[in-house]
Amino acid sequence: MRPCDSLFPLSRREWLAVAASGLAGVARAAAPGSKVALARCPAYGKAVTPVLRRMFDQLGGIGRLVSGKTVAIKINMANPLLARTGHTPAWFTRWSHPDTIGAAVQLLGEAGATRIRILESSSEDDNPLEENFLIGGWDPAPLLTAAPRVEMENTGSLGYGKKYHRITVPGKPYLYPGFDVNHSYVECDVLVSITKLKEHLKAGLSLSLKNMVGITPPTIYGDAAPYEDPAPRSYGARSMLHTGHRPPSATAPAEVDQATPREFGYRVPRVIADLVRARPVDLAIIDGIETQTTAETAALDPGDQRQIRLVKPGILVAGWNPVSTDAVAAAAMGFDPMADRGSAPFESCDSMLKVAEEAGIGTRDLSKIEIVGAPLRDVRFPFRG
Amino acid sequence: MPELIPFRWPVEWKDASRLEILKGTPINCLVGDAPPPFSTGDLAFFPKDQLPAGIAVREGTWPRVLPAQTKKDAAEAGATGAAWVDSNAGLIRLAQTMEPGKPVWLTTLPPGGKEVVPLEEFARAVAEACAYRARWIVALDGPFRAEIEKRSEAGLREWKRVAAALNLFERHSEWRNWEPAAALAVVSDFEGDNKLMAEEFLILAPRRHLAYRAIRKADAGKATLSGFKAILWLDGAPPAGALRDQCLEFAQAGGLLISPRGVVAGDPSETFFDYQIHRLGKGRVAVPKEAWYDPFLLVAGVQLLIGNRDNVVQVWNGGSMNSHVLASEKNDRAVAHLIHYSSGRSQPVTLGFSKPYRSARVCTLDSEKVVRPVRGGIGIEVPVGEFSGYAAVELEA
Repeated sequence: MRPCDSLFPLSRREWLAVAASGLAGVARAAAPGSKVALARCPAYGKAVTPVLRRMFDQLGGIGRLVSGKTVAIKINMANPLLARTGHTPAWFTRWSHPDTIGAAVQLLGEAGATRIRILESSSEDDNPLEENFLIGGWDPAPLLTAAPRVEMENTGSLGYGKKYHRITVPGKPYLYPGFDVNHSYVECDVLVSITKLKEHLKAGLSLSLKNMVGITPPTIYGDAAPYEDPAPRSYGARSMLHTGHRPPSATAPAEVDQATPREFGYRVPRVIADLVRARPVDLAIIDGIETQTTAETAALDPGDQRQIRLVKPGILVAGWNPVSTDAVAAAAMGFDPMADRGSAPFESCDSMLKVAEEAGIGTRDLSKIEIVGAPLRDVRFPFRG
Repeated sequence: MPELIPFRWPVEWKDASRLEILKGTPINCLVGDAPPPFSTGDLAFFPKDQLPAGIAVREGTWPRVLPAQTKKDAAEAGATGAAWVDSNAGLIRLAQTMEPGKPVWLTTLPPGGKEVVPLEEFARAVAEACAYRARWIVALDGPFRAEIEKRSEAGLREWKRVAAALNLFERHSEWRNWEPAAALAVVSDFEGDNKLMAEEFLILAPRRHLAYRAIRKADAGKATLSGFKAILWLDGAPPAGALRDQCLEFAQAGGLLISPRGVVAGDPSETFFDYQIHRLGKGRVAVPKEAWYDPFLLVAGVQLLIGNRDNVVQVWNGGSMNSHVLASEKNDRAVAHLIHYSSGRSQPVTLGFSKPYRSARVCTLDSEKVVRPVRGGIGIEVPVGEFSGYAAVELEA
């Protein structure tokens, strides 16, 4: 087992060399990472698998990436687990839908992945992830049999590991030089992100990039994390990453500069860029078959003038590069991926796409991204429309 | 003799005209410091320290989410930092276990002092007790009494809700004869050194929607343990003698026995969080690595050991809410009581059941409606909606 390769088709070593040399722009210019597939998929169920299969083919196939490899899938099951938007299960509004996960698992297995590990961290428990699927109201059993040797792990704590593993930001970090994470994010060859097509109240978007915040264990980065050693159990939101009001447990790397702004809109895009550089995403899949607008939460604060709408964009987005994939997804949502702070969807924060692009992770410029499959104009579904 | 439904008569009310407010309610007896200075007609009166024989009387707590700050420089929070809920669930169910067959009355008084109790909380206090098949001796505090005396809109509206809560349970009096639906039997003597942990378990389990039946150790030998998925032996010492044999037979037949160390010998086959697991026949015996010391962790651990696949009920958007499911003897009907301890309306609540009920009726203090169960990812789901204080979901298989 070796640390994950990244930014397919560049190897992690090649990518690190590029980043460390300060030529991050070169990585961005190395456009092979910016191919993104778009597809219509009107409903969940068995129809998801052939659509995703075609998208993988359009991307050039996933066999080279996953054959013979251990593949980790970071899904999105944001807490609280028992919160629903109205009566609608969170799989249709905020979380990666199991049909999308299941389709990806099946196709990864068919492409030769030898071990597939479905991962998510909960900030309210250290339950087995299978139990959290049940709590969410879904039977995880079909996912575990969608391919040979499928496992699940709640990565909010040590989980099944013996120790935390350090991932380091190559080159100059924005905020954190590295992070301590559950073993699963290091003991894998490939990392796939599967997330929902959704907005974020404060960060603007919650797509492949934002999904990576969830790899930080709340035992170290949660509100209840002790200042010294990590907590034995996961509990508490990761507000220290949002506000910088306190450091993570002392065993983990501290911030490089306490003088940086303690503001959500400044910090979160940079935390994300640090995380994705430290633990790159090899394949990003965004589930926009059914979702909700406006927020990543199940409800808004009282008095909020905005309104959450349940919507069915009926689309899937997939790509090798999380920045490019998110940029195409943002465009499909009716946003300008080149938008800067002050413009939708980044009204109150820096653009995580821009920050990630500047960090050399990938391009957000649609003119430099090869979109395959359905034309963008055919699948556009304006979230603010 | 009809069941007694008590009301604490305010000593300040010396005029027979005040009896007017009891019209339209099922209240049929009065409790107080001294009899009112007028004829109460058919209403029996009981001095507060001479309540009728055969009733298990308990001093409960005011059911609510405790205000974040009740004392200067002191904040209240639950075990997880979440809001602290004061509930009578454990107290009532323990009383029913210790004094089986007796009606349970709660003598709780509103908090009083300088604290202003929102009037909406009175109906919740009635409903909470009734949901757990007990009675709260309905008691007004000064401000509520004053609102009723001046016949204010708010006072009369909230009194109507108190009456609505009482009437709802009279219309569905069959619920009182139904038994808790549960996969878990909690066995203890509930006394001495075992009392604190056992009581806390009974209090905290409903907050996590972990359904249980409490069984006194003395009754465990004769009580059937079939139908349960798990037994939690909650005494400090493991079961011994014939009870041990009975518990181990339960495990061998496929059940889960959760017990203090010493119930089985030999090395465990595996560990699961804070428990060592011994395979026994078709089932398992789970023993804690360390003696139980934290009831919250105990409840969470037991819930995890049992698993969420066959939950009696799953509650989404429940917030600070207890659930309590009772089933008819034939198990063809059930009611899920939901007590919402926060003020204001709940979020839209959805219930999930692994049992495939065909129809559901949602009863709140304001209305009743038929709702159609929908198929969920596991079992069926019932969209309950938003409500204040209390809702019941009556189900038919």
